[in-house]
Amino acid sequence: MLQSEVWFLLRDRAFRVWVLVVLLFSGFAVWSGLAEVAQQRQSIAFLVDADSTDRTSEFSAQGDWGSAAYYSFHLTYDPPSDFAFAAMGQRDASSWKHRLRMLALEGQIYEHDPGNPELALIGRFDFAFFAAFVLPLVLIFLLHDLKAGERTAGRFNLLVASAGNDNRLWWTRSLLRAIGVLIAAVGPLLVGGVVSGTSAASLLGATAMVTAYVLFWTVVCLWLGSRQHPASVILASLIGVWVLLGTLLPAGGRVIIDRLVSVPSGADILMTQREAVNDAWDLPVADTMAPFVARHPEWTGYTHTGDGFDWGWYYAFQQVGDQTTESLSAAYRKGRARRDQLAAWFAIAAPPALLERWLQKLAGTNVEAVLDYEESVRAFHAELRAFYYPGLFGDAAFDPARIDDLPQFSSSE
Amino acid sequence: MTTTVKLEADALQVYRSDKEVLSGISFSLSSSEVYALLGGNGAGKSTTLLSFLGFLPAAGGRVLVNGKDVSADHKAARAAIAYLPEAASLYEHLNAFENLRYFLQLAGRSEDSPALEAALDRVSLAPASRARRLKDYSKGMRQKVAIALAILRDTDILLLDEPTSGLDPSAIDEFHDLIRDLADTGKTILMVTHDVYGACQVADRIGLLRGGKLVGEFSAPTDGRIETETVHRAFSGRTVDTQLAV
Amino acid sequence: MSATLTITTDEWRYWLRSKLALAVVALFVVILVGVSALTNLRIEAEAHEREHHQEVSEETFLDQPDRHPHRMVHYGHYVFRAPMPLAIFDPGLDAITGQTLFLEGHRQNSATFSASASSADLGGLSWLTPALMYQLFAPLLVILLGHGAIVREREAGTLPALLAQGLTGRRLVAGKLLALALFVTLLLVPVLISGVIALSAGERVLAAASLLGVYLVYLLIWVALTLLVSTLAENRATAIAVLAAAWLALTLVLPAAAVNTTTQTAPLAGKIETELTMLTEIRDLGDGHDVDDSVYNDVQASLLAEYGAASIEELDINIRGVLAQKAEADLTETLNVYADRRMAAEMRQSDRVSAHGWLTPTLAVAVASRTLAGTDLFHYHRFLRQAEALRINFVQGLNRAHAEALSYTDDINRNRDEASWERARIDASNWQVLDSFQYESASASDRVAGAQWSIAMLAAWIAVLTLLLAWAGGRLKP
Repeated sequence: MLQSEVWFLLRDRAFRVWVLVVLLFSGFAVWSGLAEVAQQRQSIAFLVDADSTDRTSEFSAQGDWGSAAYYSFHLTYDPPSDFAFAAMGQRDASSWKHRLRMLALEGQIYEHDPGNPELALIGRFDFAFFAAFVLPLVLIFLLHDLKAGERTAGRFNLLVASAGNDNRLWWTRSLLRAIGVLIAAVGPLLVGGVVSGTSAASLLGATAMVTAYVLFWTVVCLWLGSRQHPASVILASLIGVWVLLGTLLPAGGRVIIDRLVSVPSGADILMTQREAVNDAWDLPVADTMAPFVARHPEWTGYTHTGDGFDWGWYYAFQQVGDQTTESLSAAYRKGRARRDQLAAWFAIAAPPALLERWLQKLAGTNVEAVLDYEESVRAFHAELRAFYYPGLFGDAAFDPARIDDLPQFSSSE
Repeated sequence: MTTTVKLEADALQVYRSDKEVLSGISFSLSSSEVYALLGGNGAGKSTTLLSFLGFLPAAGGRVLVNGKDVSADHKAARAAIAYLPEAASLYEHLNAFENLRYFLQLAGRSEDSPALEAALDRVSLAPASRARRLKDYSKGMRQKVAIALAILRDTDILLLDEPTSGLDPSAIDEFHDLIRDLADTGKTILMVTHDVYGACQVADRIGLLRGGKLVGEFSAPTDGRIETETVHRAFSGRTVDTQLAV
Repeated sequence: MSATLTITTDEWRYWLRSKLALAVVALFVVILVGVSALTNLRIEAEAHEREHHQEVSEETFLDQPDRHPHRMVHYGHYVFRAPMPLAIFDPGLDAITGQTLFLEGHRQNSATFSASASSADLGGLSWLTPALMYQLFAPLLVILLGHGAIVREREAGTLPALLAQGLTGRRLVAGKLLALALFVTLLLVPVLISGVIALSAGERVLAAASLLGVYLVYLLIWVALTLLVSTLAENRATAIAVLAAAWLALTLVLPAAAVNTTTQTAPLAGKIETELTMLTEIRDLGDGHDVDDSVYNDVQASLLAEYGAASIEELDINIRGVLAQKAEADLTETLNVYADRRMAAEMRQSDRVSAHGWLTPTLAVAVASRTLAGTDLFHYHRFLRQAEALRINFVQGLNRAHAEALSYTDDINRNRDEASWERARIDASNWQVLDSFQYESASASDRVAGAQWSIAMLAAWIAVLTLLLAWAGGRLKP
């Protein structure tokens, strides 16, 4: 039966057209994903270069540690993974590059370098979007009238009587169509993966996910398509299922999760931090140094030089500013992580969201990856402090040659 | 040739969407027999055929194919039967050969081209049109391909639903000859029709179905055909069940 | 005319007897009402919160004690982007863009903390809004109800009977068109309600009415498309399959694909990238904190000449404040060049995406809707510009106070001892230079003008489809 069904399928014009369409969609999504990743890599390469040149000229021009720290910027970035071309995920809405100084981190880390918000709103046609939302619709179009169409054409009884076992016939027909669509969808992804040197594990994982997803929708189509309704009613119900799983449930889930888990408002974080840093100018030096030394007992011996401006004091209140927002900022991170965890659970009920999240996880473009990147930025900023503090609070003399010892940001890749 | 009972309906009762369509009909066919179920619209003719194929469950009574209850194993029943549905349509984007080959493969058979040609010869489908797609066929031509398919299944039993619909008079005559030939080679043929004349031409026995009940049965004399006039009168309700015992 | 009305009434009767149609429409309305209520609540809460933050921020600034004026320049101020009244219907960029902007001297910061950055991530379509319900899902309702309008008559064999009565094909199509047009008009009642709520929040009638208008045209486009396919198709299954495929292409695929092609054909340089060049340029401008910076020699000379003074100590005004003003003005000029360039590049991208509205009415209506609601990129830029105007205004106000209210001697001796530190302050009443921030959208007529191309696209779509429908109706045969 298999052989004849394959033969039969290849003569089905609607099937051929849809497979071609899927191939085009998937190819376009993968191709533009690759182009976008190339653009981002190019942009990072340029920035790494320009950043280093800029820092070299600034650092060497300074005469003391304080100014060196003040005028030296440091690039941090999260390069696209080898699978990011398939799922851009958070990279369109969240920052994946920052340029930092030794000033208070909380005032810098939320600075955004986003793309065009209007484009982010409409959303990109990447492979993840295509697979999660467009692919099921194509399956629905292809599979909804497998039975109903034969009924309308008056062939249903003859087919079933000839085949003897009707279940096998419909399963064979559905699965063969699904496999055709699957190959057309995954093919360009694999080609893109080979082109960009994606790890076999990612490609295998993605293929397995999309296969499972296609199987899910095939079963749904077969199940609803078995009802003795006209094809149009079946199609309407299947699209209804798509709307429910793809938008209504996720939208509801998002509202519920955001209600359940509150995160501090960004304004509170910024204002608290800013107040702390600004007030310090008018506060007695001791008020700043006490909490600073509590955190860094090794600089207990440091004494503020003179009444006026002093770099050590300046950087100390920058750090104290960060310290006052620590709990808020941690709550902001924890809240986002918690929301993401809940979303991961909730997505089980909404397969399109689940697939998108899975692919984004593989691509390292999910919320988790954003939080990890933020964490690496924090770690790098801490390294910067560790580098400069001996100069600022100890008695290490400034030496422009020390630029070679500056911490280097290395992306997690 | 030994006669064995190939098809049997035993007090068969069938419901379709909560309506009783067959209310306890009983009849049986032996090999080499042609049986015509005659009845008007909604009499339950097609329902009877679908019951033999296991499409519709028996609410009461039994249907047997080759002595085996269909409800126990509809696959065996379907494998033993070639079925020609009413207004059978095949795939319009395929030609006659492709259609035959595809449906035969569904049934787990494969036939070489000469066999397909031979079958199409038997239903006298013009050779020139055989490689054309069915969407260019007339209703009669399509019916011929469907009949060829039933022959090619090469089963002992044929169930034919209004087989002559769409055929022109000369094609109908040829079809009747074909049925008689098939019966002579030992096939058991159950056909349903509302064509009294055709039924009398071809059938060894005729069952008259009305409102889901078998209201009359006619048998052909040993050396002749059933008399059309008698059946016609019974069909149009002008006689009572006087012929039942014949 | 009465024949047309008969057809219309008959179509409505047909729908009212179809359980599927009633169920789906009821479901849509329930979901729409739910989504509208949630969006309304969310936007209202946001508006409340941001208004509150704005007030607190202003009070905090004004409550600062006597200080050195330049300290206040660095102390800075926050502004919050208040949602537009029509955001309850189409929040547009509200969730994507930052809500908080920190204003300070010497810098233009970017708006931070967008709602989307901290929200649970549940896929691309989880930001459901009333606008999206109409853009994506209302066409499905039209298709479901309308796909069989003509082809159904053909399949049931009633078409020859109807045409045999002397009814022309066009009449028949017109009757069905009227039925569907009536349906989509009723479907727009929730938009009307959102509009009325927005009016009470200060929105203009013109904007709300135009918004209603573009959605009506958009749904009529789908009505015409559906009827066209229904007229040309051989059977219902084909009609609904073709329409569903068209829906997939026009609403889901094309708008997203437009984003892909735009990012590739008109890439946007990152902010950090452009800032690298900008920083080099700024370093050449000179440091306004440093009176001896050679860049300001001319300013110093002309000031001395103007006041007839021999040294800067003898000036009636504090030269440090004057230089701060000059430096801030120069810097802002450069910053604005880059900011304008960036905004222009973003607008170019958006315009390029919007141009795809010729290919899909969904994109055209989405752009028109955001523009009319005042939640588009233009209005986001407008917010940034108004915030910048506020920034330069209070920073220069403080610098002026620096020049006029604080003596040069006190100023340069501020770090000498505790008492000098105390002396180098000005009265807190000077903080009143900060204006209250009231984000204002463009006027309703400007917004309509801004949406003119998208409106033209919608008009072109409906015109072409109407012509095609008239043609198809004319050749309708049994």
